[in-house]
Order: sequence, then C-alpha cells, then structure tokens
Amino acid sequence: MATRRALRTLNHLTTRRAHSTTSVSANELSHFSALASSWWDPQGPSRVLHLMNPLRHDFIASCLSDALPPPPPSTSTSTPTSETNPNTLRYLDIGCGGGIFAESLARSITPPSTPTQTPTPTRAASITAIDPSTTLIQIARDHARQDPTVDAHLRTGRFEYKNCTLEDLIAASSSPSSSPSPSTQKKTYDIVTLFEVIEHIESTPAAGISPQSFLTDCLRLVRPGGWLIGSTIARTFPSWLVNQVIAEAPWPVGVVPRGTHEWQKFVNPEELEGWVQEGLMRGADGRVTRAGAAALEGMRWKCMGVVYFPGFGWKLVPGSESWGNYFWAVRKGV
Amino acid sequence: MRSLVRSAARPYVCPSCQLSRLPARRRFASHSTPSSASPEIYDVVCVGGGPAGLGLLAALRASPATSKLKVALVETQDLQKAGSWSLDAQHYSNRVSSLTPSSVSFLQKIGVWDHVDTARVQPYQEMQVWDGETGSRITFDWSMETSPFEDLRTVATMTENSNLVRALLSRIAESGDENLSIFSNTTVSSIANGSEIPDGPDLSAWPVLSLAPTTSSPAQPPKQIAARLLVGADGINSPVRRFADISTSGWDYDRHGVVATLSLSDLDPVHFPLNMKTAYQRFLPALGGPIALLPLPNNNASLVWSTTVANAAYLKSLPPRAFIAMVNAAFRLSMTDLSYMLRMERPSTTSSPASSTSTPTPTLDPHEDELTWRLQHTPQPRKPSQLPPVVNGVQEGTVASFPLRFRHASSYISPRVALVGDAAHVIHPLAGQGLNLGLGDVAALARTVQYAATHGMDVGDILTLERYAGDRFATNAKIGAACDVLHKLYNVPGNGPVAWARSFGLDVIDKVPFVKGLLMKGVE
Repeated sequence: MATRRALRTLNHLTTRRAHSTTSVSANELSHFSALASSWWDPQGPSRVLHLMNPLRHDFIASCLSDALPPPPPSTSTSTPTSETNPNTLRYLDIGCGGGIFAESLARSITPPSTPTQTPTPTRAASITAIDPSTTLIQIARDHARQDPTVDAHLRTGRFEYKNCTLEDLIAASSSPSSSPSPSTQKKTYDIVTLFEVIEHIESTPAAGISPQSFLTDCLRLVRPGGWLIGSTIARTFPSWLVNQVIAEAPWPVGVVPRGTHEWQKFVNPEELEGWVQEGLMRGADGRVTRAGAAALEGMRWKCMGVVYFPGFGWKLVPGSESWGNYFWAVRKGV
Repeated sequence: MRSLVRSAARPYVCPSCQLSRLPARRRFASHSTPSSASPEIYDVVCVGGGPAGLGLLAALRASPATSKLKVALVETQDLQKAGSWSLDAQHYSNRVSSLTPSSVSFLQKIGVWDHVDTARVQPYQEMQVWDGETGSRITFDWSMETSPFEDLRTVATMTENSNLVRALLSRIAESGDENLSIFSNTTVSSIANGSEIPDGPDLSAWPVLSLAPTTSSPAQPPKQIAARLLVGADGINSPVRRFADISTSGWDYDRHGVVATLSLSDLDPVHFPLNMKTAYQRFLPALGGPIALLPLPNNNASLVWSTTVANAAYLKSLPPRAFIAMVNAAFRLSMTDLSYMLRMERPSTTSSPASSTSTPTPTLDPHEDELTWRLQHTPQPRKPSQLPPVVNGVQEGTVASFPLRFRHASSYISPRVALVGDAAHVIHPLAGQGLNLGLGDVAALARTVQYAATHGMDVGDILTLERYAGDRFATNAKIGAACDVLHKLYNVPGNGPVAWARSFGLDVIDKVPFVKGLLMKGVE
C-alpha cells in the first residue's frame, strides 16, 4: 500500500504539467510535493498548519458577521432553496495543497436535502479548490474519500478539486466558447480564500508576475460584495527569528520543514492593503478601468494577528499582525 | 489546557516513533463475524448506557451545534426498565453518588436536572472528616464565603444512580428520535476496522461494530454500524479500549466498599440552621479505610465503608441489628475496640425475621451489648454535632460490597476512539469523585465535539480528540493520585510519625481558611 502510494507520487511528480505563464515557482512546487506523504499526518511536518485551521473558520465567520455577500440573483434559480437554506455561499480555495482547509470547509456544507434553516458558521454551499501540484491534489482526493460526508460532496459536485493554476481557472472561466457574452457569464465566487499562499508567490517582473498581479487575478474571481480572505506572515525581525531561525531549526526544536518559507517573500499588512486596493482598481483586462475612488467604494479591509504558543496552539492576538502571522480579508464593494 | 505531557514530550519523540505509536492492533471480537455489507454510518457511537454514556448523549442532543449529528448508543442492559425505575419515598437504592456543584450545574445546563426526582436527592452543606486514630478533624463548608444571613452553599448533592439514569433517559427521549438510535439489550460482538467501499467512501480507518441483540436468535445476522467517533463508556473492562489497543495500568486495593441504605434516629442533633445536612467520614487506619455516612431524604443515609475483604465479608454476614451496632461503633469507638468487635463470634442465625427497620426485641444482640458497654468507657467529642445521628435501621437487601480498584488508561484517545468514565479511570471512592470525573469527561468531550462541528473538523480526528485528552488527562490523573495518597496515608495504623504528620496536616488545613478554600474549589 505504502509503496504503491510512493510510486504513484513519483509518477505524478514526473508527469507534472508545465505551465507557460504562471505565478507558481518550480522550487515551491517541488518543496510542497515532497511533503505530500506526510501532509495529513497529525504529528507530521504540517501539524502547525492543521492546528491553525479552526481559526480560519473563526476568521471567516467574523468576516461574514461584518458583512454578508448579497444573495445571488433570485431570477436565475427557480428552486426555492435559497429561501429556506441560508447556506448559499460559493467558495474558491486557491492553493489548497493537500486540502486541509478545503476539506474542512466541505465538511461544513449541509446537503440541500436536509431541511436546515439554521445558518452554519461558514454558510457554505459549495467549494472549488485548486492547486498546481498534481501530487497534492491526488493526496487531497485520497484523503477526502476517508470521510463519507466529504466523499458524498465530491460525488455530487458541491466539492471539487481541480489540478490547475489560478491563471488556468481565469482562462477557463472567461472563455468565450461557453457563452456569447463572457463578461456577464464569468464565473465568480462569494468567498475566495488564499491561506498561506501569497508568501510563496514568485515575483518575475520579466513575465509581469508579482504578488500584486496575483492578487488582482484573485479579486477578479470575487463577486461584488464577496470577500477575499487569506493569511500570511509579516516581514519583520521577530517573524524572521520565529519562522526562519526557530521554526525551521533542525529537529527537535523546529516545527516546520526546512525551506518552507523565504523571509524575503513575507508580506506586511500595509503592503498587502496597498496591493489589493490597486488590484480592485484594475479591471477585467488588467487596465485601470474605473477611477480609483469609485473602485474602492464599499471596500472593507480587515486584519487580525495570530500567535502560535507551543503546547497551547494558535490564539488570535489583536495587534500582533504587524510582527507575525496574521489573517487578512478584503471585501469587494457591491 | 492542552496535555502538557503530550505536547512537551512530542518534540523529543523522533517522528518515526510517533508514527509507530498508532495502535498496530485494532480489533476486538468475542467471535469473528466478517461481513461485506456496507455499514450504516454514524457520527458518534457510544458503547455503554451508564451515567457517562447517557450523559454524553444528552449533552450532544442539548447543544444546537451537535443536535444534528447522527448518534447511536449501545447498551447490554434493558434501558426500558431503567427508564421506568421507581421506588417509594421510604426506600432508597444502595447505589448512590455524591454530585459536586459543577456536576449538578452541567446537568442543569443540558436540561437533565429538570427530569431528576428532586424529592429523592439530598444536598448537604457540611462535611465532617476526622481521623479515628488521632481524632484530628476537619470541617468542610462554605461558611467562610457566605454571609451569616444566607443559607450555606451546597458542598455536594446525594442522588441515587437510578434516579439520574432515569432522568438522562427521559431528557434524551424529550429530544426526539431524529438522528438518534438507541440499541438497548444489545451487545457489541466485534469491533474491527472497516474497508474501502467500491465507488464509495474509504472506511478502512473507521471502527465498524457488529451488534447482536441479547434477546433474539443467533441466526439473525448482526447489524453493522460504522463510527466517525467511537466513545467507550463501557466500564472498567472496556471492549472499546481493547479494540483501540490502549493499555491500562493500576492495582487492586485489596479492599471492599460495603454499602447499605440506613435509617437514622429522629434524635438528629439540632443544627443551626435547621435544614442543614452534614456528611460524615471517619478514617479507620487499623481497619483498612474510611467509613462514610451520606445523607438521603427523610432521615435516611447511605453508607460507604471501605475496609479489608475479610472485614467486608464479616460485616455482610451479620444480622441487621449487629450490622447497625457495628456502623454506630465505627463512628464512635477506638481502633482497638473496633478490631475486637470485628472478631467477635457471629450471633447464631436465630435473629428476628428480617425487616426493613429493626424493631427492638427483648433479647440483646451481643454486638449491641458490646457497643453499649464500650461507649461508657470512650470519651466522646465535646460538640455532639461532630458525630452522626445514631443509625437505627438498615433497609432490607441493601447491604452489598464491591472491590476497590485503581486504573488509569495510558491514553484517553486513539484515532476515532475516545474513552470516558470508568473505561478511562477507576479511582478509590473515598472522596466520592468517580462519577463526577466521568461527568467531567463527558462535558469536556461534548465541548470538543461542539467545537469540531462548528469549525469543519472531523469529530473523530486525532487533532480534534487531542483537545479532549488535553482537557481531562492531567485533571483525572491528579485527582486519582490524590485519592490514592489519602488511602495510603490513612492506612498506617498506630500513633507513629505518619499519623502525627497527617493529623498535623489536617489541623493546619482546618485552621487556615485560605488553604481549605483552595482545596474545596480544587475538588469542585
């Protein structure tokens, strides 16, 4: 069994698709693919990430309590489910990896058959999760089968893993073949999540790729009134000490595999806020289509620091966003 | 608090050893029953319908976040019978528990307390504990924290286990039968890991139980149910614990607890305030353990006398009048007197026909005679309130005994398995904490499941269950160890240095309100 899986893993690694223009760096891809076999091991290298996952749900719930995305246009759907079921939000998880967050969110989806009138904390109705690593997507699919609830969502299509890059998804969603007027039929999501991804984006000015352009692409997939929610690490001296020196130290001190982070790629909250503002002002074709002030109307910015206390786990610590791990969210104006 | 032991040790166990900590053997079977049919899937399956198992079910049904979970309970006994239990107001079961205020507030929170017959429960506001060897004494009450104008707060509440079980069943029934399956009169014939279902989920890491009704013919195929989370509330010999391959360590105390329901004389020493009730416990180092008298309504009381196996057998063989005399003696006479009386020849079997309360007969029982004579030569405490009222009757058929043991499971969790109550820990009853620890487990596990359900976590995942184990393991180990130390401390007979030290300790605790307050809050 183990050898079979290892062989399959190798197979996937070698047959990995090459993307022409992509925000994904080859180094990052091979680093995380190598971690694949231990991705779901509760005592393994991803343990700290697993422990953080419940807080992502808390942060999403706090965003939703601030402002709920508007209900979908009622004319398009004839089913009265939206009237009875308050859990209507469509999620997109970018860089889902082995599916730690995506699977947990899929578990919170209540099937439309159940007569539930109570809103769940995430109000999820469906989730699409994408990752460029074939290995990780396979790991995620294999693991999802071990939970009948999640497995059922995968079979009905309420939960979907796609092995593609963000650029692929955008190209597919705005392809003119599916509909005569692509601008109106473009597929967008109520919530787009970007957990521990932005600090792994390779900046390649020659190809016009930067964290800023990546965020712009993410924001294109957010419905007006929806949220782009993520988490990352601030680029400060304490975060260098904690994430590079201590967390990646050799066993038994370290809790994160060596080479997971590059401190230079860490992003400070102010930088991020600037990028998303610029991203919102850029239109569908990457050109500035609206005047700055108009594009930022109705926008909300939210930020909350989290700190990992060994032996106790992650805790939300307001104010710590300026020197360590933090959650951030931006709401697109209606 | 997370488990300090676990998280502190984690980095120092090499990763490959951590992997191998996963149980290699996951199988429990009384007889092998392989089946290929796909099992019915439940979120929580609880094996054992005692107070802990039913408490978990009631707690899960009471919380909006977990009431939609599909849950099942498997119990060998007839729960229908337990649900319709009833006894008249003068008779009390000998299986009683002392519920701490936090246990009662948990039962109130999950709506169970409303279903308890409160006419049959007895709160007490004071506890007298003293050393039979040295006479050192400590009084537990909340008088330091209460103003003189209000009633004293409750130290603990006595309730029959049957009363509690009936209330739990009635609360569960009240929650409706949606997503709920109760398999009563049913045994678990085997537990094994499931298998990969073609074109379906992969249940190879899920426990699958084979259920067999105790009443029906063995020809009927066993029902198969799969558990996202399998909870072992199945007692000291837990089959669930065996399936999870969790080891348990401990020892037998070589002592028995003698229990009985007693009636007290009406000459209850007048207390102030009038409705105040007191529990009494006297340590008898020469006899192997303490004797405790715990108040029940209508001037009844429950006896728990921890003593050597030989003494327990002797006490159980006594006719009612002699038994009563021994209980009264145990609270009043010296160790030497008691040792002598426990070796007296048993009266011939010409005792009066057994009745619920002994009626004075002209012939004097030799134990009674001995007690009357020895009392005249024993100095009594200055305040009569320091002694329990005289016992004058024993309810027929309530004298029984059970072995005292200490057990602690090496872990409370394994992937998709959690242990609660006696399956996880069995402790000495001298502080009356057994059921309270079980309810504490259940409250913590229900909290964990609730957190998991609202955060997209798999309720059977080890990362979820770690939260439960971290909450309870250290607490239970601490209380279990404290009871064990007390047991050993109060088993050193004579007036040696140990007796002197423990009495000094008791006196200091009694005189320093700060320490006593800490102790009482700790127990609570």
